[in-house]
Amino acid sequence: MLTWLILLPVLAAIIVSLVPSRRSELHLSLGIALAVLPLALAGYVFWAFEPVSGYQFIEDVTWYAPWGIGWTLGIDGISLPMVVLTTLLVPIALGASTSIEKRRKEFVVYTLLLEAGMIGVFLALDLFIFFVFFEAILIPMYFIIGIWGSDRRVYAAVKFFIYTAFGSALMLAGIIALAFTHAEQFGSLSFALSDLMRLDLPIGAERWLFAAFALAFAIKVPLFPVHTWLPDAHTEAPTAGSVLLAGVLLKLGTYGLLRFNLSLFPEASVDAVWIMGILAVVGIVYGAVVAIVQPDLKRLVAYSSVSHLGFIVLGTFAFTSGAMQGAVIQNVNHGITTGALFLLVGMLYERRHTKLISEFGGIQKSMPVFAGFFLFMAFASIGLPGLNGFVGEFLVLIGAYATLPVLAVIAASGVVLAAIYLLWAYERVFTGVPEKPENQNLADLSTREVALLAPLAALVLVIGLYPNVLLDKIAPSAEAVLDHVVEASGLVIPEPGRLADVFVTDGEGE
Amino acid sequence: MITPEISWLAILPELGLALGAAAVLLVEVQWKPRAQVLGMVVAGALTIALAFTVVQWIRAQDAVAGAGQLGDLVAFSRMILMDGFAVFGRFALLVTTAIGITAGWRLIEGLGRRRAEALALILLASAGFSIMVSANNLVMVFLGLEVGSIALYVLAGMTRSSSTSDEAALKYFLLGSFASAIFIYGVALIYAGTGQFEILAIRSFFSAFIVTSPGVILIGIALMIVGLGFKVSAAPFHAWAPDVYQGAPAGFVGYMAAVAKIAGFAAIARILITGLGDLEVNWLPVVAGISALSMVGGSLLALVQADIRRMLAYSSVATAGFVMTGVVGGATSGVLFYVAVYALQLVGSFAVVAAVSGPANSASSMDEYQGLATRSPGLAAGFTILLLGMAGLPLTSGFVAKFGVFSDAWSAGYQWLVIVAVLASVLAFAVYLRVVVNMYMSDAEGPTLEVPDTARWVLMIAAAATIIWGILPGSLLDLASSAFPL
Repeated sequence: MLTWLILLPVLAAIIVSLVPSRRSELHLSLGIALAVLPLALAGYVFWAFEPVSGYQFIEDVTWYAPWGIGWTLGIDGISLPMVVLTTLLVPIALGASTSIEKRRKEFVVYTLLLEAGMIGVFLALDLFIFFVFFEAILIPMYFIIGIWGSDRRVYAAVKFFIYTAFGSALMLAGIIALAFTHAEQFGSLSFALSDLMRLDLPIGAERWLFAAFALAFAIKVPLFPVHTWLPDAHTEAPTAGSVLLAGVLLKLGTYGLLRFNLSLFPEASVDAVWIMGILAVVGIVYGAVVAIVQPDLKRLVAYSSVSHLGFIVLGTFAFTSGAMQGAVIQNVNHGITTGALFLLVGMLYERRHTKLISEFGGIQKSMPVFAGFFLFMAFASIGLPGLNGFVGEFLVLIGAYATLPVLAVIAASGVVLAAIYLLWAYERVFTGVPEKPENQNLADLSTREVALLAPLAALVLVIGLYPNVLLDKIAPSAEAVLDHVVEASGLVIPEPGRLADVFVTDGEGE
Repeated sequence: MITPEISWLAILPELGLALGAAAVLLVEVQWKPRAQVLGMVVAGALTIALAFTVVQWIRAQDAVAGAGQLGDLVAFSRMILMDGFAVFGRFALLVTTAIGITAGWRLIEGLGRRRAEALALILLASAGFSIMVSANNLVMVFLGLEVGSIALYVLAGMTRSSSTSDEAALKYFLLGSFASAIFIYGVALIYAGTGQFEILAIRSFFSAFIVTSPGVILIGIALMIVGLGFKVSAAPFHAWAPDVYQGAPAGFVGYMAAVAKIAGFAAIARILITGLGDLEVNWLPVVAGISALSMVGGSLLALVQADIRRMLAYSSVATAGFVMTGVVGGATSGVLFYVAVYALQLVGSFAVVAAVSGPANSASSMDEYQGLATRSPGLAAGFTILLLGMAGLPLTSGFVAKFGVFSDAWSAGYQWLVIVAVLASVLAFAVYLRVVVNMYMSDAEGPTLEVPDTARWVLMIAAAATIIWGILPGSLLDLASSAFPL
């Protein structure tokens, strides 16, 4: 089943690539149609997923026995929402790419291959396979930015590639080190996450390995101060690239921290709480402040990502149930809202061929529906109660307050700053009198564009009003990660840091 | 009087190649046939040689499994070996030769009546290198090295009209013979220190005796490393590579570089790991240093080249460094796997270079690749796969190869080398991506290239092998790991 989740996009890519190049009108629609299949499958997995801890739908096939590598896939409450999000964003991103004329077939093929790689990263439970996917997704993304991006695309593409490859290079050394430690302690090489979690690492080695993994993921997140590739990549990438970059690729970093750093190096993770926490909070504030002064709308959204992802990292390293669940759900929320914001900016760009805020003004007169969607997504991003962003950031802040009160208080300022940069941008772009003649007769959203945004808007509302659709499935797995950390490191979480402190389970109630 | 027992099987592949070379020349003199006929003769010789290596492989595996005598694998008065390592190396050489000739076929056809000469030289070069990978005796290693190298010197200067080709050939010859001399001097010193030429006997010598004043032996080892390091173009003995890669005819460079790498690394692995394994405390740091210098220096220099051939030359210096991490790791299987997959990628890449800039041409500016993806999408896609493979990105055989040698080096305790290696890999990404940028991210228009079918086939095979062994490397890895030296 899970193998099919990875294979379906690959097969779709192959099918699209077999369509002759001159039938360019077919490629995009065929790609979208085929991209719905993995979405349907992911929907089924989501529906069939039992809300308990541990991996489900496990597949385990030996890949190369002498090296102890297995094609091991599995899904739990942490990866499940990300997989669904990925499969949802890909057809939307493709649907938003009608303005791409140049080499459209290749574009669809790369996007579908990117999807396969991203799903692979979330499903892999073998570190070798994980690394293969983690690194392989650089290739299609590199092409997407480099071929279909705007003026400085080559610079941005290469910077993106080299930055992230540099991070994962040291992680590769770390993975090799883990496998050989397993060979020393258990007699055989293994790359399976479950095997490597049993290792007894000396604390010094554990810290180094933690650092190697954390660097790779921190660059991906991106955490301050290794975030500089992100604004370039986002600004230059085509809309679909930005949507997938913000929606999914950045989450590979936060997901990696949660899945691998906490599970493999629990003691070092506990030791690193302050480092990671401070970097996260610096990112929150710095990203927000820099976003305020951006003259370019897309760069503004890009810097807002730096800020929002800081919340996720803070939640991951706060070590309370609430913060951890908040981090996981915020992964999804940020993917939805920022993905939508990039879509909106892209739609605006298609009409005006500029992203500079100063070029706009008063366009809500001509584009009321567009303005409505933008304001709605901006509110979701700010974290207005009732919308999805509120759930995640609230959980993170409440959870982090129990263990890292100072950082939580500073981080809360990020919410205020988000209101400033987004609403101020809204004011400058949408309100007032449209002075420039180009801004007076802009076409409002077409049906197609509304159809792309509507599912995201619906999700914003659903998660905002009833977050338990996700939290029910996330909670057991997030608790399991915390249990593992507590067990391995002897960390004492202050009350009420755990779910059990707050809720009385049904069994005990009766 | 005892007549020494001769096991012809041990040299039948080389004999096949050498006779093939003679046959090509005779057929040419007698009948002056079309190029295809000569090609047929060469194909026959290669097929025969390959068939015998298969027989040798089966014997080697039987012997290891206990069904035969291990001693049978040492033949020709203990000069030649038929162990798995040797047979794997031979096989890789023969396949590379076949693909190399196919890749350079356009060039060979264009040589007119001298085409037989070129084909014979290629077969002789392969015969020499084949001896080199299977020699048990250091003098045999030297003989094989020289037979192979001299043929390559001539090949480098094959297009006599071009002055860069002449220059490349002369440079290659002068520096190459100097390196051979250094190597043989090292052999002489080893003989002076141990009284042995045979690699297996040298191993027994060092496991039986502890040398109290090893000065002569250490100098001998150092000189051999220098000589062989030159052949595989490891830094700092790489100065010839960019000029030769740039000057020699494009149709031959891939083949020349690939076979020299296979044979050179086979010899390095056999001499150092098998023969001098007991002295590894002495040579490991040196080889590790060469490896690190090659990886970092090669990648950095490759990054600033404006000519794609010089870029490939410096990146092959870097690759030599990556393979060396496998030598440091002490496991021959990783080295074999790496050189085998890299050889294919190199030949394939130069098939592209020959197609883009003409098989006999000498300059290949990076700019010629601008917009190649729109002009010749198939060529660009195939080349991209090969470049990503050489860069060692996942899902290509290059990644598996790197992963293998890095793991070996890590388990041998050379963690620092692995860290240098993974960081140098990032530099290597940047190197190869420059070409991809030119091909895909430029809108430059140009004429569609006319690509010869032979080059197309070579590219397809090399690209397919890169991907297949990247996703399912088990088959080749199993072969490489059962190809251990005696």
